[in-house]
Amino acid sequence: MQHVATRSLIGVFVFLSALCLLAPVQGAEGEQLTILGETPPPGFDPISGKRIIPNERCLKCHGDAHEKTDTRDDGSVIDIYADPEKIKESVHGERSCTECHATIERVPHREAPDVVVGCIQCHRETWDQHRNDPEGKYERLGVVMETIESYYDSVHARPNEQDQSETNATCYDCHDAHDIGTLGSHQRTEHRLKNPEVCGDCHRQEFNVYRDSLHGKAVLEKGNADSAVCSDCHTTHQIDDPDSDKAKLAITKNCGDCHKEAQRTYFDSYHGQVHRLGYTNTAKCHDCHGSHDIKGEDDPTSEIHANNRLENCRVCHEDANENFLTFWPHGDADDREKYPGLWFFKIFMQTLIFSVMGFFWIHVFMWLYREVMDRIQGKGFIEDLDHPDVVYFRRFPAVWRWIHGLFAISTMTLILTGTTLLFAHTGWAKAVVLFLGGTEMEGIIHRTAAVIWLGIFVTHLAIAISNIWTKRKTFKWFGSTSMLPNWKDWDDLKGMFRWFVGRGPRPEFNHWTYWQKFDYWAPFWGAAIIGSSGIMLFAPETTAIILPGWMFNIATLVHAEEALLAAIFLNSVHFFNVHFRPERFPMSVTIFTGTIPIEEFKHDHRLEYERLVESGELDKHLVKRPSRRADLAASFITTVLIMSGLALLTLVMIGLVTSPN
Amino acid sequence: MHKENTVNHKACALLLTALALFPATLLAAPTGQALAFTCAGCHGTDGSSVGPSSPSIAGMDPDVFIDVMKGYQQDKRNSTIMNRIAKAYSDEQLKGMAWFFAKQELRLKPQEHDPQLAERGKKLHNQYCEKCHENGGVHGDSGTLAGQWKPYLEYSMIDYIGGLRPYPRKMKRKVDAVIEAEGKDAVQALIHYYSSQHEAMRDNNDE
Repeated sequence: MQHVATRSLIGVFVFLSALCLLAPVQGAEGEQLTILGETPPPGFDPISGKRIIPNERCLKCHGDAHEKTDTRDDGSVIDIYADPEKIKESVHGERSCTECHATIERVPHREAPDVVVGCIQCHRETWDQHRNDPEGKYERLGVVMETIESYYDSVHARPNEQDQSETNATCYDCHDAHDIGTLGSHQRTEHRLKNPEVCGDCHRQEFNVYRDSLHGKAVLEKGNADSAVCSDCHTTHQIDDPDSDKAKLAITKNCGDCHKEAQRTYFDSYHGQVHRLGYTNTAKCHDCHGSHDIKGEDDPTSEIHANNRLENCRVCHEDANENFLTFWPHGDADDREKYPGLWFFKIFMQTLIFSVMGFFWIHVFMWLYREVMDRIQGKGFIEDLDHPDVVYFRRFPAVWRWIHGLFAISTMTLILTGTTLLFAHTGWAKAVVLFLGGTEMEGIIHRTAAVIWLGIFVTHLAIAISNIWTKRKTFKWFGSTSMLPNWKDWDDLKGMFRWFVGRGPRPEFNHWTYWQKFDYWAPFWGAAIIGSSGIMLFAPETTAIILPGWMFNIATLVHAEEALLAAIFLNSVHFFNVHFRPERFPMSVTIFTGTIPIEEFKHDHRLEYERLVESGELDKHLVKRPSRRADLAASFITTVLIMSGLALLTLVMIGLVTSPN
Repeated sequence: MHKENTVNHKACALLLTALALFPATLLAAPTGQALAFTCAGCHGTDGSSVGPSSPSIAGMDPDVFIDVMKGYQQDKRNSTIMNRIAKAYSDEQLKGMAWFFAKQELRLKPQEHDPQLAERGKKLHNQYCEKCHENGGVHGDSGTLAGQWKPYLEYSMIDYIGGLRPYPRKMKRKVDAVIEAEGKDAVQALIHYYSSQHEAMRDNNDE
């Protein structure tokens, strides 16, 4: 029994000892804090034991309008004032001071306190807590979250170069947290007007220049909140080094927020097109107008004053002469009154595009309709599978085949690189330029292709002239083998339309049909127009020696419009005429093999065939069927070119449909 | 068997003795209240002093209490015996005592004072002292002035002005300013004002 009693006593002793040792001297988390049996007195948080400092206590000193500054022990004077009325009206009016000034534990401060405020932490926590608030009361905090991310990416969030323990700027360097208003509030208007001075606290030099600018005078002297303040151009939170591409792009974009028309016309210019692709190597708003010192063009100190403008041009165009001054940087082809010349050329080119494309697309659809109807009725040219062609007619010698191949490749290269500028607003244009290695590389590729293209054009011209010269005694300018249009073409055109509507037979053609002649003369005309305007734009300083600056505007417009016409015509009408009409579908490889099956030749060029038979010359033109390998190679390259052409046509159509203008 | 029983008896007796003594002596720390009782001899029951040279510490701001005790511990504050007494207490004990005294009601008795001087002191207080010693110097994070014993206030100011007690931040600037502007008797005016404040203190307690 005693043994049991002893064990019980030991058990009680161990239990009580454990209770004594484990009994908390301080209360557990979440419970009232206790120290040596004492709980925190009134005025202290019962859980944490921290002093609760009422706002009135802080405002006793900080809200005293008669004593807005304090002198520190080192003699420095600091501003300690926080307007109690403004705090009450601000979005933080319901908060206690120490929620933000969380390091303040004693009032009066035993030591001069540092301003340590964790705006970001508090806003993030509040957002996390209330983001799904059904009333949407905290919706605006979502925007604050975005600005926080932008701030972290900005130059202000980076460590200061002279003192890495601090960032370049933080929230409360710009925002007076005691005076933050909701959207549309008077606080926000006041904050906007104060923006230049707030930024100017650090960026003094820029502020002094800005103060004398048109923007600065409007804001600081007239209190015009609609005029530009620092953050309108530099953004509020995504601020970056102004020498960075990111900042240059943002600033130029932001100018357009107010100067919409100026931006629209700028984006139509070569300078703006390159910029719109995301590159900064061409002139931007501030390159010509200045940045902080923007003034009207009548002000002799303005960068765009007539006396100072050439100097700006010469920053990039070192050899620019006086003729550069007549260039219209914001030339607007839609503004008939201000730019009648430009307007005329635009109307002319657009009339040309619409009439050519309108006519030939009608031609295409009617032709398609007729051939489909004929095939349904078992008419038209149908390949005789029991007697496949073994005899071919040589239609193109090797030199023309090479010329066409190189011309096609260089044309497509020019379309791709050129339309990226014309449709700089599209995503595909930006992707293509990025893929090519930037606008400078794109320019090199475009110009190289242009040289090849023009070289081919000149070579073809030389060969054609040489051929005509050789046959000068017998060459008939309007004969059956001539490329020059004649009355037979006009009759054939009318005949084709009659055939399209079922009111006549399909006309019989000579060596060249009228559409083949058009396919030839259209690029011929295009080469002259695009080539001459391209050369002008190729070397602007040289062009300006003889031509006025506004010729660049005309050349840019004509170059683009004509190229657009060529790109659409070649990749739709030409493709249909040669490859896609049912008699030829899916393609004709004649331009690469140089030969056409004799039966097909007979069908398409019966008059020429009969003429050759009659004159006994036919045999001279007959060749064997191309080898299987030659046929495959020709099919392959034709397929690649057709697919490339269709892809380009698609990109061009996307650009046209999505064009902001 | 008999021997074993004897051993068990002795063990039982030892354990019982231990149970009776351990929690009270070794394991349980004295409460803040118990520690505070040791101050009563000078600072009065629960900190309401009846001896004019000892300040009342009832209702005293706990952080100020700790500051004062730390000042004594580190010999930064002029004292007679408080520096010796203070050194014995741990931080935890100081906090427990501070919280105890902070919750005690300060019971004051009227003191003799010059009403005219007190009136002048009031104005000076509002001009120079109110921001830190708010509401006329009642309990707060700057200590308790209202209703304190006049002798205590006098030797405290002598210590401050004589450099025997370090001024809190900014106080020297204010004291120098009030003496420069109003003369040396400005301090007396303030002391008379605070010592006249037993009623204000009572009102403060009622709130």
